[in-house]
Amino acid sequence: MKQQCALKGGLSRRGFLKLTGAAGAGMAAAPWLLAGCSPAVTTSQPLKIGLLLPYSAVYAELGNSIERGVRMYLDETGNEAGGRSIEIITEDEGATPDDATPKARKLVEQDEVDIVAGIVSSGVLGALRDYFDSNKKLLICANAGANGISRGGKTPYIWRTSFSNWQPNWPVGPWAAENVGKRVFVSVPDYAAGHNMRDAFLNSYQAAGGEAVGLQVTPFPNIGDPAPFITEIANADVDFLYCFYSGGQAVTFLKAYGDFGLAGKLPLLCAGFMVEEDVLPAEGDYALGARSGLHWALYLDNPENKTFVEAYRAKYPDKTPDVFAVQGYDTGRVIVEMLNRTQGDSSADKMVAALDGISFASPRGPFTLDAATQNPKQHIYLREVQAIDGAPHNVSLADLGEVADPGDDSKG
Amino acid sequence: MENFLIQLLNGLVTSMLLFVMAAGLSLIFGLMDVINLTHGAFYLLGGYIGLTTVRRLGNFWLALMIAPLVVGGLGLLIEYFFLRRLYGRHRHLEQVLFTFGVTLIIIDLARATWGAYVESVPSPALLAGQVSLFNIQFPIYRLSLIGFGLLLALLLWLLIERTRLGAIVRAGVSDAQMVAGLGIDVQRVFAGVFAFGAALAALAGVVGAPVFTLYPGLDSEILILALVVVVIGGLGTLKGAFFGSLIIGLADTFGKALLPELSRFILFAVMALILLLRPSGLFGQKEV
Repeated sequence: MKQQCALKGGLSRRGFLKLTGAAGAGMAAAPWLLAGCSPAVTTSQPLKIGLLLPYSAVYAELGNSIERGVRMYLDETGNEAGGRSIEIITEDEGATPDDATPKARKLVEQDEVDIVAGIVSSGVLGALRDYFDSNKKLLICANAGANGISRGGKTPYIWRTSFSNWQPNWPVGPWAAENVGKRVFVSVPDYAAGHNMRDAFLNSYQAAGGEAVGLQVTPFPNIGDPAPFITEIANADVDFLYCFYSGGQAVTFLKAYGDFGLAGKLPLLCAGFMVEEDVLPAEGDYALGARSGLHWALYLDNPENKTFVEAYRAKYPDKTPDVFAVQGYDTGRVIVEMLNRTQGDSSADKMVAALDGISFASPRGPFTLDAATQNPKQHIYLREVQAIDGAPHNVSLADLGEVADPGDDSKG
Repeated sequence: MENFLIQLLNGLVTSMLLFVMAAGLSLIFGLMDVINLTHGAFYLLGGYIGLTTVRRLGNFWLALMIAPLVVGGLGLLIEYFFLRRLYGRHRHLEQVLFTFGVTLIIIDLARATWGAYVESVPSPALLAGQVSLFNIQFPIYRLSLIGFGLLLALLLWLLIERTRLGAIVRAGVSDAQMVAGLGIDVQRVFAGVFAFGAALAALAGVVGAPVFTLYPGLDSEILILALVVVVIGGLGTLKGAFFGSLIIGLADTFGKALLPELSRFILFAVMALILLLRPSGLFGQKEV
């Protein structure tokens, strides 16, 4: 194969001898010699995935979780797909576009990765959209849920294996109107994801006859002491509280909600991230009884999930899988299935074509990549935090059905 | 009206937490002319040590003693081995670089030790639960924080204004060289104040943990608020730190309650306004 390549390049006999000699000495030392050779050669090289995830700042554990998920799937399938071995290069996304942009460029331009996967922050996703679009580099987004990337901001080169912010909220509206009450107080942080989630919930909740009695937006990213907000909520005459907070904000907010005696008195309904397994240990008993919509639950009853949870706990002792680990696991699976479809061809357009319609049974239930939004079609579950073996965990109460992002802003 | 009173209490809780933090920062700033960016890290480290103490020994009150001792000791070491070489008004840049570097090291070590998950510390059992105030179940722990802050302010005031040690520190804030000229070992006073400030930050970390929780990144949030307090209160005065904390705590709370979208803006607008009217802060003698 090496000879073929050299001859195709039209080298002189001496050049050919030099080249084969050099090849014998170590191919890796001169990879540029092979540039432009037949695909048979490029596909025999390892495929490089650049994982761009937060390993510092407040979302660091989310990054670790997603990476564990990705590695777990790749290890299960022998770190190989479409006849090529897979290599992972990690970079720190940090917290802001300023942190992440140089790292994305490093992965693409210096490490020359074939695919970038990861990205937790919607802000980072928005800031990097044009970079991936204009460089025609494939990005598999493993978390950031900004609605826009499945709607007006769509590009062929960004596909999501996680969710759109709209997805876990919209199906909860009618359920809440029917099962919890018709008067709600809504509190979300003042940034894109908070607005996305609130608008999605209110759209279907109000259509089902619910009324937003109180609306509140809180400073992001620093909420400080949420007591002033909790006081406003405690003074409102409502049936329940609807929220979206994540990470540190989720814990601080829920803690204040409990400290002010609202836990068990004013029902809490929320986007699932607020009471996901990563924050539940810190939230403790105050989270008990909280109900939320999300595309997965630790105690979601299906065989794939059972296997996944057991394998995860075996591979990473002391770690409880969370929705981010599931998203990482499915990201690994999407990449492997895509490369199997292209038979190892990592040209961006071939890979993009292969992503269309990838479908499998995920720990989160049936998972299908929806070509219209480049985002998963998936089931949303209505979950409840219950004490299981003395610790709070999420149990699925109801399956709210398969949900695809609407692809435009018509439904919030 | 009732809502106003409850929000006033909320504001006082924030104020008192800020005061514990800002008192040390202000003294270090005023006395040693050191911009100590490590203060936020001391806060977080104190909180984490408190967390471990509560988990291991199940005793919040021990945490209140252990965390300030450990962090105060660390402050002493940092002062003795490093900071001592960087004194002087013209060396502010080096101090900022150094203390910022130490912050990064402490925060990374803390992450390696305690992880990056959000951690919360339960309020001590004695102060758990709520009292009913104007139809609101107000947490007892938060109420007691107000009392704690006021008590600490009183003790610090007595220490600074009514003891010989306090007189030396006050003299040092005005003119450290003159104090040295009187035969007082200013170096030792500096070390003591730095360690004491660090211990106060750690104390704030422990009492603040049940309210603010603990996570990497909290250090800079807290540090920024404390710096604002110190700047508007005036460098080096306890009174300044106290009233600065009151203003910022109340501005933060009422900003959030009345105009949540603008609450961050209000905080800094208050600072800008005060600095326009009094460029050296409310009670400061030195220019900021």
